[in-house]
Amino acid sequence: MTSTLETPAASPDASPDAREVRVAIIGSGFAGLGMAIALRRRGETDFVVLERAGDVGGTWRDNTYPGAACDVQSNLYSFSFAPNPRWGRSYSEQPEIQAYLRATADRFDVRRHCVFGADVTSARWDDAARRWHVTTTAGEFRARVLISAAGALADPARPDIPGLDTFAGTVMHSARWEHAHDLSGKRVAVIGTGASAIQVVPAIQPIVDSITVYQRTPAWVVPRTDHPVKPWTRRLYTYVPGLQRGIRAFLYLFREFLVIGLAKNRRFLRPVAKLARTHLHRQVRDPKLRKALTPDYTIGCKRILISNDYFPAVAAPNAELVTAGIAEVRPHSVVTRDGVERPTDTIVLATGFSVTDLPIAKRIRGREGRSLADVWSDGMVSNRSAAVAGFPNLFLLVGPNVGVGHTSMVYMIESQVAYVDDALRTMDAEGLDVLETTPAAQEAWRSLVAEKSKGTVWLAGGCASWYLDRHGHNTTLWPDFTFRFRRLTRKLDRENYVGVPAGAPASRPEVAA
Amino acid sequence: MHTVWRRVAAVRTPDGAQLHAVVDGSEDAPVTLVLAHGWTLAQAAWDDVADLLAPRIADGELRLIRYDQRGHGRSTWPSPTHPDAEISIDQLGADLASLLDQLVPTGPVVLGGHSMGGMTIMCLAAARPELFGDRVRGVALVSTSAGDLTSDPRSAAGRMAALKPGVLNAALAGAVLVEKLRTLLPPSHPRHRRMVRELLYGADASDAMVLAGAEIMHASTVRAFITFMPALDEHDKRENLSALTRVPVEIFVGDEDKLTPPRHSRQLADALPDAQLHQVERTGHMLPQERPQLLVDALLRLLEAALDDRAAA
Ligand SMILES: Cc1cc2nc3c(=O)[nH]c(=O)nc-3n(C[C@H](O)[C@H](O)[C@H](O)COP(=O)(O)OP(=O)(O)OC[C@H]3O[C@@H](n4cnc5c(N)ncnc54)[C@H](O)[C@@H]3O)c2cc1C
Repeated sequence: MTSTLETPAASPDASPDAREVRVAIIGSGFAGLGMAIALRRRGETDFVVLERAGDVGGTWRDNTYPGAACDVQSNLYSFSFAPNPRWGRSYSEQPEIQAYLRATADRFDVRRHCVFGADVTSARWDDAARRWHVTTTAGEFRARVLISAAGALADPARPDIPGLDTFAGTVMHSARWEHAHDLSGKRVAVIGTGASAIQVVPAIQPIVDSITVYQRTPAWVVPRTDHPVKPWTRRLYTYVPGLQRGIRAFLYLFREFLVIGLAKNRRFLRPVAKLARTHLHRQVRDPKLRKALTPDYTIGCKRILISNDYFPAVAAPNAELVTAGIAEVRPHSVVTRDGVERPTDTIVLATGFSVTDLPIAKRIRGREGRSLADVWSDGMVSNRSAAVAGFPNLFLLVGPNVGVGHTSMVYMIESQVAYVDDALRTMDAEGLDVLETTPAAQEAWRSLVAEKSKGTVWLAGGCASWYLDRHGHNTTLWPDFTFRFRRLTRKLDRENYVGVPAGAPASRPEVAA
Repeated sequence: MHTVWRRVAAVRTPDGAQLHAVVDGSEDAPVTLVLAHGWTLAQAAWDDVADLLAPRIADGELRLIRYDQRGHGRSTWPSPTHPDAEISIDQLGADLASLLDQLVPTGPVVLGGHSMGGMTIMCLAAARPELFGDRVRGVALVSTSAGDLTSDPRSAAGRMAALKPGVLNAALAGAVLVEKLRTLLPPSHPRHRRMVRELLYGADASDAMVLAGAEIMHASTVRAFITFMPALDEHDKRENLSALTRVPVEIFVGDEDKLTPPRHSRQLADALPDAQLHQVERTGHMLPQERPQLLVDALLRLLEAALDDRAAA
């Protein structure tokens, strides 16, 4: 690929062999791929996808632990423009989702834009050259526009437990599963009881010698309505694509009803809580275990989990649920605060991800060399979850306040991709070199989100979740109907951006009305 | 930090059941105590006894194993594909043997059994007599019986045995319905607790005790209740107790026990002349809950004797 742009004035730190591109996308998960496909579909080819790993897929490439599956129906948890009539189950397992993402990347021919093994170690805005200077482990890049799709759940969080490093057996994070490590006959400790644990525990419980689940907070769990998709249904989807679209629309609407309870009026969550309580009572008879598995916060405050086999697995003859809290790890055991020491061969960290302190934020530096992490030290701020003042020509996918727990992230991602694409087309149409949002727009978005978050179950549900930052602010979730997010980001809010036309000096930015 | 070892283990039986066992204490403790619970109960019935023993377990004096009998607590039923699906107390004895083989392959052992758990030990003694005196060095039999449980038609067990097997099968089929009905009168309901108290507890039992016991029983399945009832009826080891004469035995019974009234324990004491019989006043069938300290004192005597034995050997 050759750049169609004229080479800008060389800036002092421009490395001579940096590759020049119009757009650099960081990450090749649902978001990075979605963005790349959007560019390809309108004929844009001057872009790269920088991916630290060796393949596309993101979440679904990395989370290969036994039992990994999506918990939103595949008919909804997939790209709207690439329906898959061949899903084998209503909730697909990881290999099938990963295969779908790979096939979709091939189908839209974006793989040739991917640079694998390219871990972005720093990205600096060069104000003089009006370029992003991107350093990766696979070389240097200079890009007019940088789009970060590095994922919110991409960097495993390791718990800070004394002695964890001294453990003599295998320690593995659920998102970095070591398949060569045979768990059969092992005494396994699983730390954490979130979305990953609830899938991995029942998958490994039958083969291990014993399994100890260390729980800090119990999750609300509702039945999973998973089932294989019948061959004739698949044929029907193939020949009547409208049917699959219709089901997708129905699933979307059905799930959106949950928002009424989550964000508007918690009373509407009561039937869901009742369903979860009945589920627990049906599956667990032991009164002590039942009590330990009963949450004391409002349902929905943390992600509502779906499973039919988690409760039976922790109630299995070779299982133990421990609530005492881990004091330390010793070379061959885990010690809890009540002074009980359990012999342990393998530790599985199902401890989630760094969400409110995204590692990529430390690596992206805007004007005046300030990193996103610096700017966000008091909480993540943005305009429409996509742009940050002081970071010209930078767009974020799955940045602050885009997260959803009740429905498909792909819906949010597609909303964002359309918004960013509109920004890029606006730059082209107006001949802009630079597009940057304003602090005022950011403040307006922050207060809009804060206003919407008030009284939602995430703030008022009585739990500490990874949705909230250390100040207790909601900086990760979209606190309203998702169609409202889509409406708010349908088109670029041009009035909230400052544009600098090509050739114009930076000191006289043109401000749109 | 000074710690106590704990691990859970699933003991696999030859017919495919899995028994949930909790092992407290270090592998190198000098002696192991194994406790077997009663009908429609679970290992939690021993919690008070275990709490009193905890400091000694922490000091490394003994290892404690509690387990759920098949079909009770977290233990499973035999795999449905297994041919002889018939339930008997002898099977429970064989389960205890599997547990000893897998979790305590060496070292001295003291066994404690409450109610059906006591019968379990008697069945083990009948089937594996060679263990007694050698590996098994002491036995506590609590609120239990060697057989003839239903000959007294006025006993609660006798009244229940009057139900005919046909009725039982129908009841088993209707177990789902019974389950539903049961939830209508949960242990938190005073009437539920009154019924439990009248049947199982003595005069001194506290409300908290009755509630705890009622909750454990409520967690058991109707299937366990119904399938084990005829097995209890058939249990008769009055002529097969000789292995137990080789080890110190302590027998406990509450004078207000309605399920296994004192005459059953007297019968045991007659068959085991060297055994010590303790009839405890104002106490019902739930002796491990009602008089945990008494039991712990006896268990410690047995454990100590087991170790003296070893020193002598
Ligand atoms: C186990 C699990 C199950 C989930 N199930 C669901 C579900 O059922 N429904 C749902 O809606 N959501 C689910 N999610 C959320 C899921 O993360 C999102 O739906 C979606 O996959 C996110 O896509 P993404 O592209 O934003 O991020 P990711 O898929 O995480 O992709 C980010 C990519 O960026 C790369 N990257 C990161 N940093 C760098 C760097 N510095 N340099 C180069 N490359 C970098 C990563 O390697 C990765 O490939 C689940 C998440 C997990 C972990």
